[in-house]
Amino acid sequence: MSGDLINALFLQILTGLQLGMIYAMIALGLTLIFGTLGVVNFAHGALYLIGAYCAVIIAGKLGFLYAVILVPLILFVIGIILERGLIQYFYDRPHTDQILVTFGLAIVAEEALKWIFGANNIPYPVPSWGQGIVMLHEYVPFLSGFVVFPKWRLILILVSLVVIGALFFLLQFTRFGLVIRSGMRDAEMVRFLGINITRRFAAVFGLGALIAGIAGVFGGPITQVSPAVGMKMLVPSFLVVVIGGMGSVAGALIAAVVLGMALSFTAEYSSIQQIIIYLVAVVVLLTRPRGLMGKKGVFE
Amino acid sequence: MTDRKDDSNRGWSRRNVLKAGAASAVIAGTGPMIFTRNSWAQDAIGNFPVKGDTVMFGFNVPQTGAYADEGADELRAYKLAVKHLNNGGGMLETLKPSSLTGQGVLGKKVGYVSGDTQTSPDAARTSARRMIERDKVIMYGGGSSSSVAIAQQYLAQEMGVIFMCGLTHSNDTTGKDKRRYGFRHFFNAYMSGKALGPVLADAYGTDRRAFHLTADYTWGHTQYQSIKEFTEKEGWTTVNNIMTPLGTSDYSQFLTAVLNSDADVLVLNHYGKDMVNSLTQAVQFGMKDMQKNGKDFQIVVPLYSRLMAQGAGASNIDGVFGSTNWNWTLEDAGSQAFVKSFEDEYGFPPSQAAQTCYVQTLLYANACERAGTFYPPEVIKALEDFRFTGAGPGEAYYRGADHQCFKDILVVQGKGPDQKQGEYDLLNIVQHVKRDDVIYPVDTFSGELGPYKPA
Repeated sequence: MSGDLINALFLQILTGLQLGMIYAMIALGLTLIFGTLGVVNFAHGALYLIGAYCAVIIAGKLGFLYAVILVPLILFVIGIILERGLIQYFYDRPHTDQILVTFGLAIVAEEALKWIFGANNIPYPVPSWGQGIVMLHEYVPFLSGFVVFPKWRLILILVSLVVIGALFFLLQFTRFGLVIRSGMRDAEMVRFLGINITRRFAAVFGLGALIAGIAGVFGGPITQVSPAVGMKMLVPSFLVVVIGGMGSVAGALIAAVVLGMALSFTAEYSSIQQIIIYLVAVVVLLTRPRGLMGKKGVFE
Repeated sequence: MTDRKDDSNRGWSRRNVLKAGAASAVIAGTGPMIFTRNSWAQDAIGNFPVKGDTVMFGFNVPQTGAYADEGADELRAYKLAVKHLNNGGGMLETLKPSSLTGQGVLGKKVGYVSGDTQTSPDAARTSARRMIERDKVIMYGGGSSSSVAIAQQYLAQEMGVIFMCGLTHSNDTTGKDKRRYGFRHFFNAYMSGKALGPVLADAYGTDRRAFHLTADYTWGHTQYQSIKEFTEKEGWTTVNNIMTPLGTSDYSQFLTAVLNSDADVLVLNHYGKDMVNSLTQAVQFGMKDMQKNGKDFQIVVPLYSRLMAQGAGASNIDGVFGSTNWNWTLEDAGSQAFVKSFEDEYGFPPSQAAQTCYVQTLLYANACERAGTFYPPEVIKALEDFRFTGAGPGEAYYRGADHQCFKDILVVQGKGPDQKQGEYDLLNIVQHVKRDDVIYPVDTFSGELGPYKPA
């Protein structure tokens, strides 16, 4: 393979990874909430949006590091309030009711932000240590010539991987994770065993919101901070959940990367690029109706 | 007999009532016109005749979406134009020939309604229809997206209400989609290409390889065609073009394709927030500090505006070439009169979008005064082939054959942080291109204007 081709492939894979990672962070929350609570949360894009707006304000007033710490916490609290104040009343209602109420919530959040901050996007400057480009050819041995990538986007990929890793650890190796995983399989049985699953499920909603908050802090400078962004992120993220298999964390991660790569590798063919994520969804669902890693009995 | 009588009574109860109702509606609708046609030369068209002592204008601008910044500035200009039409001031002092009095139009006070096009043709049409049907506007204007402007032009022709385009730069607006009821003061992509081609070749040489990223709708498509045509005339090669959806926020996948090509120039056929995003991200990808084919990599933004330059920031636009319809630093009397009154009103200088909307409103009002009526076909005739000065540099000419206004335009270059003097001083005028250098034969583009009276 010629050097140019290797460079091109490498850059495209990196771009695909970066595109996929934001979707992954939003989709993880979505799939987690769906898997545990059985709620299709269409307000999840709005949580990302709120995260991004909080990040702009806090980063502007106090500094970026404060945003990194405070925004996920704020979103966690918002998530808990949302679950206790509204969502819990919809657990036993049909999915259509849940979709309507969360979709309504998303519209309220979007319009409220538009009302407070205006319809235009708010500049979200990248902190000085994240600015500039990284000369990848100096670090990666098989690259030749001049291959660069914006530093912030590399940071975004890194942060996403850490968040996803941490979530896996939480679910696989902690008691909390064990309860959550068993609750996802059979909530009734877990309850019979004397475990207060409701409280833990509320925490899961908060956790999903927290991840959306982290995505908002690090993704905001890339996706822009404007009221329309929430909805724009929701549709691909929802597709990621469906393609990955409803309720499957690993599936969401794989699907996010697949969609990111699909977008990156079709960039030059705009007529295909604009429909590629839907095309992937159609192909996957035709061959695997439950999604890549969907389990039997979930959302059926 | 009795049966038949009963039948006819029953039949009358519904179908016949409807039929009779429809027939009387037709008679009621057309009757007065049948009697007045011979006695009045000017029959009712659109919202003519204007009733009451206020004449309403409609301003339909993008208040949300990718072009919201431009829309906000357009609305400021429209409000100022109404103020000047009612009370005098601004370009009323400089526009020649002018019949404007500063006391309304044809003895009526000017009122206005505004709407949000949401940068979407469907939303724009709905909003415009509301203005025409509910608010009875005699003229409406607005812009910042050519697909939106074209949709409204078609509606204008259909409804018999004149549409004075705001910012729209697609060749189609006064080309294949030109309409008798639509007028454009703003320049177009063809003129941008014609003005920019030679300047680019001078600055960057004739052996250049260009990669285009283009907004995927009528404006982007025609601008890509025009810039391609005029740069290739100078010897440039067009390597590739990617159509990007309007309102894209992350351009990384497209910029990666540019990096992977052998292009040494990136042409961004984007406007508004799209341009702010794509340019900022291109700079983040290191494209301003890069070398390709042994030359410095260059970025070109064919349609520039001060608002976009501000959004992208001085360090990103530093040295980037483009073209613009107008800039607030122009020193002719008309521009200065407008800039001064705009600054007095809002505290900062107007954008090119504001200038074109302001001028369009005045030109429409002036045409009504000169025609002595709001009757649309007469106002259209007064605007067609109208030559005027005092609304910007040089003499402007509204060509009757395609409703395109021709005037001087500017080739500009972004000023870096160390060059700019003040927050709004962002564009350096590289070349003042004369009207006669950008004018083109009317048959360059196809299309028909349509009739003076809507069918």
